[in-house]
Amino acid sequence: MIRQFGWIDLYYLVAAMRWTLALTAMAFVGGSVIGMIVAVLRVAHFAPLRWLGTLYIQFVQGIPLLAWLFVFYFGLAIVGLPVLPWIAAAAAFSIYGGAFLGEIWRGALQAIPRTQWEAGAALGLGFAEQLRYVIIPQAVRIAVPPTVGFLVQLIKNTSLAAIIGFVELTREGQLTTASTFQPFTVYLTVAGLYFLLCFPLSQWSRSLERKLHVAR
Amino acid sequence: MSLVDIADVTKFYGTNKVLDRVSLAVEPGEIIAIIGRSGSGKSTLLRCINGLEPIQGGRIVVDGEVVNDPKTDLRKLRQRVGIVFQSYNLFPHLTVSRNITLAPTVAKGMPEGEAREIARDVLRRVGLEDKLEAYPDQLSGGQQQRVAIARSLAMQPKVMLFDEITSALDPELTGEVLAVLEDMARSGMTMILVTHEMGFARRFGSRVVFMHQGRIWEQGRAAETLGRPQTPELETFLGAVLH
Repeated sequence: MIRQFGWIDLYYLVAAMRWTLALTAMAFVGGSVIGMIVAVLRVAHFAPLRWLGTLYIQFVQGIPLLAWLFVFYFGLAIVGLPVLPWIAAAAAFSIYGGAFLGEIWRGALQAIPRTQWEAGAALGLGFAEQLRYVIIPQAVRIAVPPTVGFLVQLIKNTSLAAIIGFVELTREGQLTTASTFQPFTVYLTVAGLYFLLCFPLSQWSRSLERKLHVAR
Repeated sequence: MSLVDIADVTKFYGTNKVLDRVSLAVEPGEIIAIIGRSGSGKSTLLRCINGLEPIQGGRIVVDGEVVNDPKTDLRKLRQRVGIVFQSYNLFPHLTVSRNITLAPTVAKGMPEGEAREIARDVLRRVGLEDKLEAYPDQLSGGQQQRVAIARSLAMQPKVMLFDEITSALDPELTGEVLAVLEDMARSGMTMILVTHEMGFARRFGSRVVFMHQGRIWEQGRAAETLGRPQTPELETFLGAVLH
């Protein structure tokens, strides 16, 4: 049954954006937890911990995101764990996000002068206390703009999850195309919706950069 | 027993020997001025005393604890050894008050109210009571350095280390920082200063230590050592800094 692309299809696409956002949110939360650990490992005093952090980043960034999706979706099924697409996607995106956020936040932590660590140490603060009270509050200002920038990447990259059957915006676009045979209209709409999500974030990131650059 | 006992300390940066069998004992209440040209190892020596720099040979004992023993809890030790840096190193994201109360509350577990009382008290000592809620970048260099001194004092240390604390300041701001040091000297604080302020060293230093090529080249009572140098190196150095 072939029908015209109409309001109802637009409505479905907009509804599917929820899942794009939900996947982005899950990936961001998971990626943040991993990223925080990785970033702290990278500034640890004990060298093997730093190597571990580097290894994680290199390993994850050296493998395409699509491969991670397949590993979780098909791989886990083979070892007997039936994996739902959204779980596989959330896991793969968390691992991927962890590596990139870890690298961004490592840079922010390392941008704080060594003398700040030293001032904390000289007052009798331990490593974790120096991080929590002295380094991280200052690093956050540096980290926010690139983190928001990464969030934009993440939103767009969630479209890859369409491949393992996770019905988000792109997958919904594929389904709509299959029933309307109007790929150009449908994907143009899909693209427009992605743009509506990403553009404000990009602008926000840029304005943050300007603001935080001049502030204390 | 000495408050700070440095015995035969050797330190390398790679293959470069920066401290060469340095020994120095500091009694409670003493004010030691360490002088010497840059690269002589004087700042390094100071930073070894509270364990900011590891040493490769010898022993440093502060207040009965061996600094270079891996079993020593450096965090506890540093609560008793204050250090003030050339570049102040205040925490720019925190108010003056929080800069001062952070370590007492976090490292010592002192209640917030009590720590604020101490902050007020130490700021009064450095003449900046009205700057409690200011941020570091709202203060002049001299004021920032006085806050840094107050921040160290708030930990109620037994000995204070000063690493060229007036070197980054304009001459007119140096005076206000020196005035704070003089006040501390009169109150009997044990102080070890790396300094270029010969006037201060002469008036308040109980001892002057001249370092050269990683060694203690010459030392003695301030007035005598500065007035009648025994080695040509110290004579040259004094000639350079006094003119």
